Amino acid sequence: MKTIEIRENTRIDLSTLESEVSFSIFGKVPYLYLFNIKEDNRLTFDVADGVELHLSFFSQKTIKNGKITANLGKNSQIISYFADFSEENNRLDVAINLNDEGATCEWHLASLSSNKDNKDISVSIYHNHPRTFGRIDNYGVCKDEGHLVFAGTSHILKGCHQSKSHQNAKIVVFDDACVAKAKPVLKIDENDIEASHAATVGKVSDEHIFYLTSRGLNIEEAKMLITLGYLKPILKGFDDTVRGDIDALIERRLSHVQA
Amino acid sequence: MATLRIKNLHVEVEGKEILKGVDVTISEGETVALLGPNGHGKSTLFNAIMGHPRYKITEGSIFLDDVDLTNLTTDARARAGLFLALQNPAEVPGVINSDFLRAAVNATSDEHLSTYKFYKMLDNATKELKMPFDLATRSLNEGFSGGEKKRNEILQLMLLNPKIAMLDEIDSGLDVDAIQTVSEVIKKQEEKGMGFFVISHYARLFDLIKPTRAVVMINGRIVLDGDASLIKRIDQTGYEFIKTELGIEIEKEEANMNDVSIGSCAVRETIKK
Repeated sequence: MKTIEIRENTRIDLSTLESEVSFSIFGKVPYLYLFNIKEDNRLTFDVADGVELHLSFFSQKTIKNGKITANLGKNSQIISYFADFSEENNRLDVAINLNDEGATCEWHLASLSSNKDNKDISVSIYHNHPRTFGRIDNYGVCKDEGHLVFAGTSHILKGCHQSKSHQNAKIVVFDDACVAKAKPVLKIDENDIEASHAATVGKVSDEHIFYLTSRGLNIEEAKMLITLGYLKPILKGFDDTVRGDIDALIERRLSHVQA
Repeated sequence: MATLRIKNLHVEVEGKEILKGVDVTISEGETVALLGPNGHGKSTLFNAIMGHPRYKITEGSIFLDDVDLTNLTTDARARAGLFLALQNPAEVPGVINSDFLRAAVNATSDEHLSTYKFYKMLDNATKELKMPFDLATRSLNEGFSGGEKKRNEILQLMLLNPKIAMLDEIDSGLDVDAIQTVSEVIKKQEEKGMGFFVISHYARLFDLIKPTRAVVMINGRIVLDGDASLIKRIDQTGYEFIKTELGIEIEKEEANMNDVSIGSCAVRETIKK
C-alpha cells in the first residue's frame, strides 16, 4: 500500500493512484483536496499529534465500495467536507478513530441522489479516549427514483469521559418513488459525556414554501432555493478554484426539480 | 391609490369555519388596527388574504383595486402588492437571507437589480433598522432571536415595497428601542403611501404608529369599524362593551380554536443540548 506524506496544501487526483492509499498528515493546517474518487477507493488518513487537517472530497463518479478511515492523535483535528454528486450505486463507509486526548472531528457531507441512484452512506465516529469530540452533519436531497440512506454510529467507549458526540442527518424528499432513510445510532458506555442525534426526512415544508411564496417567489423558485439550502453549505469547505465548479454542478443537477 | 377590498369572506380551516363573512377595506396611505380577542380569526384573516393553502376560502372575495385575488396563488398576490409580516417567521436552514431577499426583490419588481444596486439597498435598509448587516448573510431566520426575526420581516417589507402590508404582532419579541425603530420605519412607509393592516395586543405600538382607523373582529366577523379612539377604549375597558352596546355574545375561545387561528408556527428542531 502506497503512503503519501502531506505537509502542505495538496490537491490529488485519485484516479491517478492505486485504489488503496494511506496518507500521513504532518505540518500546519494543511488543506488536502481529493477528487475523482475511484469506485473501490480505500483511503486511510493518519493525522499526527496537534495537526489540524482541512480535508475536502469531491466525487462525481460511482463509488461501489468506498472506505475512508481516519486515525487522529493527541489534539489533532479533522474538518472534513464531502461533496457527493456521484451517480448510480454507491456504498461509502467512513470510520473516524479519535485515539487520543483532544482529538476532534467535524464531518460535513452533502449528497444528491437522483434518477435511479442507490446510495448508502455510513459515517461512524469511535471515541477511544477521554475528552474527544465528534460532530457529523449529513445533508441529502433525494429525487426521482433515488435511494438515499444515511447511517452511522457514535461509539463512546467505557472510560472515555467528557467526550462529546453529535450527529445530524437531514434529507429532503421530492418524489413518491424516492426511498430515504436516516439511521443515527449512539452507542455509549460511559456516563460523563454529551451526546445527541437528530434526523429529519421529509418533503419540503409547506410553511417554508408559504413563507417564500408570500414574498413573490413562485413555487418552483421557492422549492429550488430551499433545496439548494441543503447542498450549498458544503461549498464553504472548498477553495475558490473548485467552489465555482461544484456550485455550477449543483445548479445543473437540480435544474429539473419539479413542483 | 390602491385599495384592498374584502367582501363577505368566509374561511375554513380543516373543515371548521373560522371567518363567517368579513367585510373590510384598506387603502394605501392609511393604517388600520385590527383588534379582537384571541381566537376570533385575526391571524386567519391575514393568512387567508395572503393565500395560505391551509385556509380555504368558501365564499366572498378579495380585490386589490380591480384585480380579483381570491383564486390567485400566494406569489401572485405578493406580486400584486400584498405583504404579510408573519407572527412566527419560519427558520429556513441553508437559504441565505440575502439570496432570498434578492430573489424576492427580483420577483416583485419589473426591473432586474444589479448586484451593486441590491447591496446598496440592503445596506441602507439594514442601517435604518439598526440591524447588523451580518444577519443578511446568515441562513434565513436560523438562530435569530425573536426580535431579529421581526426586524427581518420589516427588512423584507422595506425591500419589497408592497402597496398593502399586513403586520401580525410585529411588536412581540421586540424591546422598547426596537419597537421605536420599527414604528419609525412604518410611519415613513405610510407617508410614502403604503397601507397598513395591523394586529397587536399592545397599545404601545399603536401609540407610535397612530392608526387612522380601527376595526374589531369578534366571532369571525368585523363588528365595529371606527376611528382610532376604539384602540384606547379597548385597551382600558376590554371587549365587554361589545356585548352591552351591540348585543353581540363573545364566543369563548375553544381549546382547538387557538391552534387553527395561529397560522404559522415555526418548526424548531433542537439539536444542541
